Amino acid sequence: MTALASDPPPALEMDGVTRRYGGTTAVDDLSLSVDEGEFFTLVGPSGCGKTTTLRLIAGFEAPTSGTVRFGGRDVAGVPPEDRDAGVVFQSYALFPHMTVAENVAYGLNFADPPGGVSEAERVAELLELVDLPDAGDRDPDSLSGGQQQRVAMARALAPGPDVLLLDEPMSALDARLREQLRVQVREIQQELGITTVYVTHDQEEALAISDRVAVMRDGAVEQVGRPRDIYRRPASRFVAEFVGDNNVLDGEVRAVADGTATVVVGGEPLSVGLADWDGGAVSVGDRLTVCVRPEALSVGGGPNCLTATVESAEFLGETTRVHLDWTGHELLLRTRDPLTGEVTVGFDPADAHVVARHDHM
Amino acid sequence: MLAAAVLALLVVMFYYPVATVFVDAVLVEGRLTLRVFAAILTDPFYLGELARLFAGDSPLAVLRALLSADRRLGIVGFTAYQAALSTVVSVAVGVPLAYLLARYEFPGRRTVRSLTILPFVLPSIMVAVGFFAAFGADGTLNAALAAVGLGPVDLLPSLEAIVIAHAFYNAPLVARITTASWESVDASAVETARSLGAGPFRAFRDVVWPQVYPAVLMSAALTFVFTFGTFPIVLALGGFELATLEVFIYGLIRDLAYAEGAALALLELAISLSVLYGYLRYEAAHTVEAGGIRPQERRPLRPPSWSLRELLPRVGLAAYAVVALVLFCLPIASMVSASLSGPAGFTLEHYRFLLERQATGASFQVRPWPAVRNSLLFGAAALAVALPMGVVVSVLTTRDYAGRELVDTVAMAPLSVSSIVVGLGLLRGLVFGVELGGVRVAVGGALAIVAAHAVAGYPFVVRIVAPGLASLDRQLVESARALGAPRARALLDIELPLVWPAVVAGAAFAAAISIGEFSATAVLASGTGQYTMPIAIERFIGRRLGPATAMGVVLLVVTSGSFLLIDRFGGDRVGL
Repeated sequence: MTALASDPPPALEMDGVTRRYGGTTAVDDLSLSVDEGEFFTLVGPSGCGKTTTLRLIAGFEAPTSGTVRFGGRDVAGVPPEDRDAGVVFQSYALFPHMTVAENVAYGLNFADPPGGVSEAERVAELLELVDLPDAGDRDPDSLSGGQQQRVAMARALAPGPDVLLLDEPMSALDARLREQLRVQVREIQQELGITTVYVTHDQEEALAISDRVAVMRDGAVEQVGRPRDIYRRPASRFVAEFVGDNNVLDGEVRAVADGTATVVVGGEPLSVGLADWDGGAVSVGDRLTVCVRPEALSVGGGPNCLTATVESAEFLGETTRVHLDWTGHELLLRTRDPLTGEVTVGFDPADAHVVARHDHM
Repeated sequence: MLAAAVLALLVVMFYYPVATVFVDAVLVEGRLTLRVFAAILTDPFYLGELARLFAGDSPLAVLRALLSADRRLGIVGFTAYQAALSTVVSVAVGVPLAYLLARYEFPGRRTVRSLTILPFVLPSIMVAVGFFAAFGADGTLNAALAAVGLGPVDLLPSLEAIVIAHAFYNAPLVARITTASWESVDASAVETARSLGAGPFRAFRDVVWPQVYPAVLMSAALTFVFTFGTFPIVLALGGFELATLEVFIYGLIRDLAYAEGAALALLELAISLSVLYGYLRYEAAHTVEAGGIRPQERRPLRPPSWSLRELLPRVGLAAYAVVALVLFCLPIASMVSASLSGPAGFTLEHYRFLLERQATGASFQVRPWPAVRNSLLFGAAALAVALPMGVVVSVLTTRDYAGRELVDTVAMAPLSVSSIVVGLGLLRGLVFGVELGGVRVAVGGALAIVAAHAVAGYPFVVRIVAPGLASLDRQLVESARALGAPRARALLDIELPLVWPAVVAGAAFAAAISIGEFSATAVLASGTGQYTMPIAIERFIGRRLGPATAMGVVLLVVTSGSFLLIDRFGGDRVGL
């Protein structure tokens, strides 16, 4: 424990939490903490345990072992209705037999509206907040998916919860709407300053709206960090490949000098910067996993010169993603110009990042 | 909390009473013994020739005796024999109906299909009255025969009458289950078989039949179990001369031979459960997950051409329709007509009789008005217990948690125990009183009857409400809870409003079961003034057919009303 006694406890904390169902382990010895007012995202492929983690926080599941704390208080045995956590589900789960206003007001049956306003004022306030001021009398069924999602947000926020939990709230919407809504969700979160845990399988969405991101795999956290750090300095091969396009290469260190390692991949020496590597001294003979983002590769060479063959290209509009074959490795490259045949590409050693080191035997 | 209350109620209303019955079977004069069982198993009166097997005779000798002309079946053997006959006849009547419903389109098809649920709510004693009115000494059949100069036939009591009445009851069940599986045959599979060179009959044999016959087997197993434990129909149409196990147990109880009755009841339960278990094992091994199928198109009932191939099945169906009309409609129609006719033609006399307090007559005689009143009171009270119980059990059986299967089993077991035993248990355990910490606690007979009706009715509430709850997005409840609603509040605010049609249907079911319940009531009401309409009918049958048919019509109206509610709100959901 390095925290000073005067520090406020984190808004939300999971400490060595495990959740097993019969023989399978959905969440495995997971620890994380979310600060007051932070937008914290759990991202990972389906089945990685992110939704279970959210349900453990909400109180819909009980940990097999470990502790969940809200503001430093152990919430073991506290039922969901007493946790002061607002939840928005992927299906929105709006109550179909109630109007929009009745949905939003439902939580006010069990808590006084915050700010000393009346129930009706609170409902109007929230519908205003989610930009649906006139939808109060409508049936949830008559709303579009995006509108339903915003009503679900308003409903979850109405009683003034301490924590907002969002479980893939946009995965049922089409891509363009998703991008608009995520901006709105982020704005509302910042306006209210509410501690938020967001679950998504979409790494791009996670990077776009979060203060911090936890990348999950097989029930455990692979890496926690600011979006920029997760993208630039992935801490494992899994994170490097899951978050964005990447070129991940394995090789052996031949020389180390001036903060740069020479790594041999497929018989060719590559210069790799060690400036952001904090995993201990790198020495000759170590095996390294290195990644270089496709946008860091440029046509025409530079310090690292790779001669590769164009295999295929995907035109994406703004850029083209080119699949290259280099000494039997597949490389991805982002470019605006059409490429064919044999090309020479290169990258700045500082743009390469060492993901992991495997000591030689 | 609620769950604990319901389970406690179940213990009081079902498990404790039933346990006291079974304890009687093994505890004689305070000593644990299997003597009663041994006596039953070796007595040819019960097991017929099979008893010699338990007595130590060689199996070969037993087999030879069974094959000889003057074999003895015993009570158990006769019960199984009539159940087997009833099953065969029910399947023979039910499968053509399933064929008609699954493969032909005609006006009224949907109505006929939903009518197949009716037997679940028709009181069996009412069906018995219908059979008396149709096939009895003064019944419609004899009247028709007399009109063409033929002598009267005496069909009652007889094994044939019992078997036909069982078919009336169970053929629709067979049809219902078989139709459902027939409709789930994928047309693409049949078309694939045809395109690969199979003729229509070969395609039926190779593709359709393998999917349909498990349903036929399932319904046959259920029919066997139902008719093995049959009571009111045999009591009314067979009497004690043609007694099945259940009727005999009832007789033993009336003669206060509790140990023997309890032992026989255990034996009956064991046989029923093993048939059910065998069936469930079979079903588990043969269930095919049907998803995204395209059903076969139904044929019009009017033949598209006058070829033999089009004509033959339709002629068969027409012949079948005549048999089905006689079987299903004649008893009901005869009952209604008998209730409205007297020596001088049309009369409302029998109905007026129901409303009279019948001042004349000795106090031990069954009077009609109290029967009507008791039926309604018990029905309302049983509903008030069965509905909340059924809803809570539905919630318990649609959630995932450790020990759910145990709760499922504990909650649904009352479906498999004979109501005679439940009635006997309530009589012995609650009405005669329990010693609790030195204080004798006894429950009135009326309360015990309500308990028996509630136990009989709530599994049907569960059967209808649970699928509705299970189909709800569980995130609805979770959302409510995250918004601060306790679990019970979420049930009231969210789940029940969303499944209320199923709740209405379940309530109608429970009410109908209570109004028509016979077996447990017969045990509990014997010698008291707490008889209900079905009990009164049984006592009127044979002596006062008029009032019996009038009461039968009242029961018919009440249960048809329930049926309409069930069909309107939950017809597709009824399992079984």
